[in-house]
Amino acid sequence: MIQVALSLLFLPFISAAVTLCFLRKHGNIAALLSVATAGGILAFSSFLIFGGEEGSIFTWSTTWFALSDMHLEFGFLVDSPAKTLLFVVSFIGLLIHIFSLGYMADDEAKSRYFGGLSIFMFSMIGITLADNLIMIFVFWELVGFSSYLLIAHYFKTDDAAKASRKAFIVNRVGDFGFLLGIIFTYWIFGTVNLQELEAASLDPTLTSTLLCLLLACGFIGKSAQFPLHVWLPDAMAGPTPVSALIHAATMVAAGVFLLIRIDFLFTAEALKLVGLLGAVMGLYAGFCALTQRDIKKVLAYSTLSQLGYMAAAFGLGLPGIALFHLMTHAFFKALMFLGSGSVIHACHHEQDIFAYGGLLKKMPITAYTFLVGVLAISGVHFLSGYFSKDAILLGAYNLDFVIFLILYVGAILTSVYMFRLYFLTFCGEARSKSSSAAHESTIFMTAPLLVLGFLSVVGGFVALYPIQIVEFLLPDIERVANMPNHLWMNILGLFAWVGGLSIAWKIYGNITSTEDPLSEKSPTLFNLSRSKLFFDEIYSFYIQRIQDPFFRFLEIMELLFISGLMVRGSAGVAALFALLGKSFYSGKIHSYSFWFVIGTIGFLTYSILFGANS
Amino acid sequence: MESITPTHYLVLSLILFSIGFFGVLLRRNLLLVLMSLELMLNGINLALVNFSRTALNLDGSIFVFFIMTVAAAEVAVGLALLVALYKKRKSVFTDDMNLIAN
Repeated sequence: MIQVALSLLFLPFISAAVTLCFLRKHGNIAALLSVATAGGILAFSSFLIFGGEEGSIFTWSTTWFALSDMHLEFGFLVDSPAKTLLFVVSFIGLLIHIFSLGYMADDEAKSRYFGGLSIFMFSMIGITLADNLIMIFVFWELVGFSSYLLIAHYFKTDDAAKASRKAFIVNRVGDFGFLLGIIFTYWIFGTVNLQELEAASLDPTLTSTLLCLLLACGFIGKSAQFPLHVWLPDAMAGPTPVSALIHAATMVAAGVFLLIRIDFLFTAEALKLVGLLGAVMGLYAGFCALTQRDIKKVLAYSTLSQLGYMAAAFGLGLPGIALFHLMTHAFFKALMFLGSGSVIHACHHEQDIFAYGGLLKKMPITAYTFLVGVLAISGVHFLSGYFSKDAILLGAYNLDFVIFLILYVGAILTSVYMFRLYFLTFCGEARSKSSSAAHESTIFMTAPLLVLGFLSVVGGFVALYPIQIVEFLLPDIERVANMPNHLWMNILGLFAWVGGLSIAWKIYGNITSTEDPLSEKSPTLFNLSRSKLFFDEIYSFYIQRIQDPFFRFLEIMELLFISGLMVRGSAGVAALFALLGKSFYSGKIHSYSFWFVIGTIGFLTYSILFGANS
Repeated sequence: MESITPTHYLVLSLILFSIGFFGVLLRRNLLLVLMSLELMLNGINLALVNFSRTALNLDGSIFVFFIMTVAAAEVAVGLALLVALYKKRKSVFTDDMNLIAN
């Protein structure tokens, strides 16, 4: 087993290293190597998942390095949630690698792109397998790095360069809290090993809300939750498969996975806060998505919103449901991102949905699979999204009505903006030159779409999965299944998606102009949604008006006191002595001998007057 | 007629030493500086011999022998350096030896 786990972890790393060292000029070979690696990852992770009995936990650990009495471990913990995420990462990873073959076919820097994907797979698998918080943190930073690398793939454009920096810096803010949380954990529990922590946390006096919230900072940064959500929509400047893999299906979901890993530490208050935060994010992101014009930004906000649902499910005390939604969301969101990638590729990198239209006839496979994704995320009955999302809604209905209300409005918005996106992109007539010339993408791109489309349809039936993949989900699913008000929830769910569908059809069903009809019908709502509630403005205000002046003040203080008084000052004292000493070097032998004699006389006088009496 | 006392010798040695001392301080010609150095040493020698004679022990005289030996060696080295310096710089005047002046 351990050989399998180690090979699984280091295979993508080796692939990235080989790409970096030898294949920089050979983009096609690098691409094939990377896809083969993804295939190998799927094979190894299948070994790992199905190698053990049902419910078995595989652990292995070795000392990474020791600092006096503090030992840092390098170890694996393959338990049931890790198996689920491992399945999602390796499976979707492979599909997206294959899709990338088509999407990046005429890219100049293929080897950089595929090498980046391999590094990402390495770090993501590291997070999944890690058995202690320090190791999670290390890989956490590595996914941040690979995300930076891949967002900046088109680094020649200003957007991508800025977005990659923004993503990196905003993530640092969250990771700082996470690191503090890890140190705090070590201080209180004396260990960062997850299993030992779980055993130690049986004593409820040890854990505290502050500790959980510090650790949750990592989740907030990586999963782009409020108030650090600003980086994810901008991160869409990267290539679309990257958006699908990193910024929809896996990396941002790693935040939720972290919460599930440390869920035993959470106090009731912290859970409630995370749940509420998630629910508000679900609503807020849905609201912002309503007026976005960029196809990928709509999907990005939708991702934010769905991550909010996962956080809400976690906050309700249903981590299994959160992981369930993570899995189904990975299917349908990866599907839609890849679908949007197919559309963007076909329309020559036009991303404005008002410039699309009528693509249903030109790209039927993309259109129908995309429709499946839209239906799934809207919660249409018996598709994958229905099972996971309605489980969250039903749980919220029975456990916390406030969260339910917020999530329900969010669900209606979800279906509005998703159908808006679908109608604008695929229905009606082509509204620009690039979309009228579009045609269906190659088999490399449509095959992953079909597979993901199939999974988005049936992915909600947990009974269809091998037991090892879903064993973590089952207890919570059963718990929700035994809750009351099923029928009522079904009716509400039906109302949500049908309502959203009809609103979207009414407003966006058959438009011909490239203006957003909402801007005329309800300018206030439109402008409010366009402004995204001014978070970017608030942050720039904070940075420009508060942080920058403060640092300028510090800089002046530093100039005055440290570099002025202390550094230059002490140097100045030395220089004074130097000036004095320098004046003796006149270049005249006479003055040298004169001072020599004076010195001798001085020493003599001293020794005669003050010398010890012998 | 007064006899010559040790004080007279001491005054003479002081005069010799002072002539040498001011010669070192004031002369511009290195050759003369070297000679002035010798003069200072001789002044000291005279004082030492004087003390040795007055105190009736040989310590001072022995010192004088050492000083004379050292002075001979010093003159040899000093003159050799001076010749080498002259070959290099075509001058024996102290004003021209000011490479480390600031």
